[in-house]
Amino acid sequence: MAVIDVTDLTKRYADHTVLNGISFSVEEGEIFGLLGPNGTGKTTTVECVEGLRRADGGSIRVLGLDPIRDGRQLRERIGVQLQHTQLPENIKVWEALDLYASFYAQPRDWRELLEEWGLADKRNARFGKLSGGQKQRLFIALALVGNPRVAFLDELTTGLDPQARRATWELIKKVRASGVTVVLVSHFMDEVEELCDRVAVFDRGRIIATGTPEQLIDGVDADHQMRFTLMATTDPVALLSGLPGVSGVTRDGSKVTVTGRGDFATAVTSALARNLIPVADLRIDKRTLDDAFLALTGRSFNL
Amino acid sequence: MTVIAKLTTVELKLLAREPGSIFTILIPLFILIVFGSSISPGDTVLLPMTLAIAVGLVGLYQVPTTLATYRERGILRRLSTTPVRPGSLLGVQLILQFMLALTACGLLLAVASTVLGAHVPSQVVPLAAAFLLGTAAMFAIGLLIAAVAANGRTANGVGVMLYFPMAYLAGLMQPAEMMPLILARIGEFTPLGAFRESLQDVWAGASPGLLPLGVMAAYAVVVSLAAAKFFRWE
Repeated sequence: MAVIDVTDLTKRYADHTVLNGISFSVEEGEIFGLLGPNGTGKTTTVECVEGLRRADGGSIRVLGLDPIRDGRQLRERIGVQLQHTQLPENIKVWEALDLYASFYAQPRDWRELLEEWGLADKRNARFGKLSGGQKQRLFIALALVGNPRVAFLDELTTGLDPQARRATWELIKKVRASGVTVVLVSHFMDEVEELCDRVAVFDRGRIIATGTPEQLIDGVDADHQMRFTLMATTDPVALLSGLPGVSGVTRDGSKVTVTGRGDFATAVTSALARNLIPVADLRIDKRTLDDAFLALTGRSFNL
Repeated sequence: MTVIAKLTTVELKLLAREPGSIFTILIPLFILIVFGSSISPGDTVLLPMTLAIAVGLVGLYQVPTTLATYRERGILRRLSTTPVRPGSLLGVQLILQFMLALTACGLLLAVASTVLGAHVPSQVVPLAAAFLLGTAAMFAIGLLIAAVAANGRTANGVGVMLYFPMAYLAGLMQPAEMMPLILARIGEFTPLGAFRESLQDVWAGASPGLLPLGVMAAYAVVVSLAAAKFFRWE
């Protein structure tokens, strides 16, 4: 059963259309990603789903409830981490968890959450004294303290250092393992690729593709690249250019780059082996969601 | 514990950890003690002045800064994703700020009557009426500042900018009798001036005049309606 069902969602501000027919559904127990550059409607979409904003058109069902009409019931069952929210500087970690737990009919034991999210030794620390990673973990713990069926996490690793990001990702996988459906809003490709079971790619108020990260990447109609360093003086350009699937070979000193499609990499490596040409640092560039986005929109993700 | 009780406990702790709320209690007390050392037992001016300063500080500094900061930090917005409505937090805050004003005034009365031997009126009803209306009027202005200010710092700045002219017109910087007539007259129509004047009436043993009571009530109603109209949760 779909936990979230969104059909043909539209939202306009004055003469500006922010959401232009958004449809997607989220299955129970998955991590579903809303991916896209900033300002493409991801946050507006989740805010409509959470009941924070009213959509102009379309329909939304979350756990069978209407976010506006059944808002009170829905808010018992969802947990939310918002972008750009803070707590009062002087509130202590345990006070925030204890307070938020009191909002829900069947909350989780916040002491367990303190342990799980590595905040036990920060129990009596004030919010203003926490590091960025600790604040972020506290926000996620607050989103989970009501024992939600669905957790919405908006840009949860923005501003974190690489190590803290990795650690947060591992924790999010644990959240999924505990049976909570997670909706993740992100403009980080690597994050979505690492965490999400399925992704909806946003562009200018529309969803331009939905699928698993692998499906989106495989759907890209473009060349792969492989690179290696020559360990001998033999020039392999002519040899490799004629191989099936290879579309181009360039050489810069001892560094060679081969582009191609299909199984061209196997053809290249066996040709090198057959001709006894030793190479080192052989690398096949993995295609990423970045390439998928570029292929879908004709624009690079960061522009 | 119910949600409101828990919310009140936490907000009370936060208020106590905030240096600003300690200052709003200490500043009027300091003024009372400095000027009160030579107070005559029948004085009807100093205590109403310091009470008005205390309520003015809570209404113009504490209320707008706290609420605008809560909105700026997204705390009200975060709350609206939970089963609790952000209005509950607003209500709890207003009650606590009212308690703060009450504490500051109670402390002033206690110190003035015991240590300084000043006169404290025994007519509780007119005193309570003047206090309630004055606090309502000043809180309404604080709410309007919180409603229109973009963030906590702006709210604080606007509060400071309004406090000094209002305190001057109200006769809190120098007694109204020593002010230019026209300014003293204008002061009667400001909420803080009307508050000081009605307190002074009570201290003189009379009932507070209808004009200052009416002025305070009018500000309380009109300004809080405006605040409600302009207030944004995010």
